[in-house]
Amino acid sequence: MDVFSLVLGYFKKSVLGYLGLLCLCLAVPSFAEEYVQVQVKQAYVDMRSGPAGAYPVVYVAAKDEWLSVLKRRTSWFKVETVKGQQGWISQDDLHLTVSAAGEPVHLTDGSFENFASRQFEVGTMAGSFDGIPSVTVMADWVATENISLGLNLTQAVGSFSENQLLMFNISHTAFPEWIVAPYVVFAAGKIRTKPRGSLVQSGDEARSANVLSAGLGLRYYLTRHFLVKLEFNSLLVKTNRDENEELAQWKLGFAVFF
Amino acid sequence: MEIRFRSILLSCLLALLVSPLWVYAQSGVIEPEPQRREISEANIDTENFEVGLMLGVISIEDFSTSMIAGARLAYHINENFFIEAAYAQAEAGQTSFELLSGGAPLLSADERNYRTYNLGLGYNLNGETFVTNTWVINSATYFMLGAGSTDFAGDEHFTLTLGAGYRLLLSDYFSLRVELKDHLFNSELIGKEKTTHNIQYGLGATFFF
Repeated sequence: MDVFSLVLGYFKKSVLGYLGLLCLCLAVPSFAEEYVQVQVKQAYVDMRSGPAGAYPVVYVAAKDEWLSVLKRRTSWFKVETVKGQQGWISQDDLHLTVSAAGEPVHLTDGSFENFASRQFEVGTMAGSFDGIPSVTVMADWVATENISLGLNLTQAVGSFSENQLLMFNISHTAFPEWIVAPYVVFAAGKIRTKPRGSLVQSGDEARSANVLSAGLGLRYYLTRHFLVKLEFNSLLVKTNRDENEELAQWKLGFAVFF
Repeated sequence: MEIRFRSILLSCLLALLVSPLWVYAQSGVIEPEPQRREISEANIDTENFEVGLMLGVISIEDFSTSMIAGARLAYHINENFFIEAAYAQAEAGQTSFELLSGGAPLLSADERNYRTYNLGLGYNLNGETFVTNTWVINSATYFMLGAGSTDFAGDEHFTLTLGAGYRLLLSDYFSLRVELKDHLFNSELIGKEKTTHNIQYGLGATFFF
């Protein structure tokens, strides 16, 4: 008989085993529950039934009451009182509490201060690719406060063709401390164009070409983890034909930063 | 006899293992002032992402109705706004013409694959649902607008998506949703170019993480 089946048999037979299992189940979560705690310093703090201002107040935490912070969703924090009452408080209300060390709680998160120290931006943009509606997904690494490196993928589907554009870009802003800041962007990449099936004879295949682009943009720190970007790019497509093709691209979109 | 010995030995071992936990659990009751951790963004568990699967029915214009399956990833910006990336695929059925004529398929099997993705922005109207007088579940009605592309009948089509849905938050991190979406794209498959409405509804489950 191996040890495992012996232990299993033991648990099956022994009442103490069940008791032991119960103890383990009860005791283990209490090890995991290392939540941060804050103390209410205002007259009261409203605790709501859900993570939004629309939800009703289910409990009012009194002054000096300790709250364990269980989790957060957007700018709402799920807390639990010492007696086990749970509810959600807003970030503004959390800033009215003090920490275990007696310091006023202040999360820089979701502020311009936090935006200034961001590392990544991930977003989506919609716009016009030389007159054709386009959708772009982008990911940027904020290398310094002035310079970002990024990748973006655009799909533009028109009546005559479907275009996919993959660009590697570098952008520079001279005014990182502005809420609305202009930037310049240079990019290089590839475009893949596939003619629409209904318009061309079968056999006309997708072609790809190298692209260089230069553009101007505006980025606006909207709120919390959110920024808006507006960009215009002038693209030079290197074709096999005698003349290179020039295209214009507009796009407007949102990005989330981390 | 030997087995009984072993079981006594094991119960001693288990008692030894459990006792510190037991003491810990007890000490929690005796001392209501445990060591408190300092607050910072890093040590609060944040759940702003939502990932989920959807199963439903889509009426592909001119191509009858089919089952559709999809996945979505959303990021909640604040209590109202979220951004979403959604993908779904279905297999289109036959047009009435194909059924009546009894042959002459308009599309090959591969061209009947309907794949659509979109990136969009949504808005939650948060609220509560009273299932009974005492059983209350947090819920939200939401609207969304997205843009993307649909790969159907051998071509990509730029697609606008309008959606509305209702979601029940069964726990903090698990929700069930019913969703209605209209995917609009231009198609000239049946001769003249027209805007097609491809209406999809489905049931989904999502997890917050």
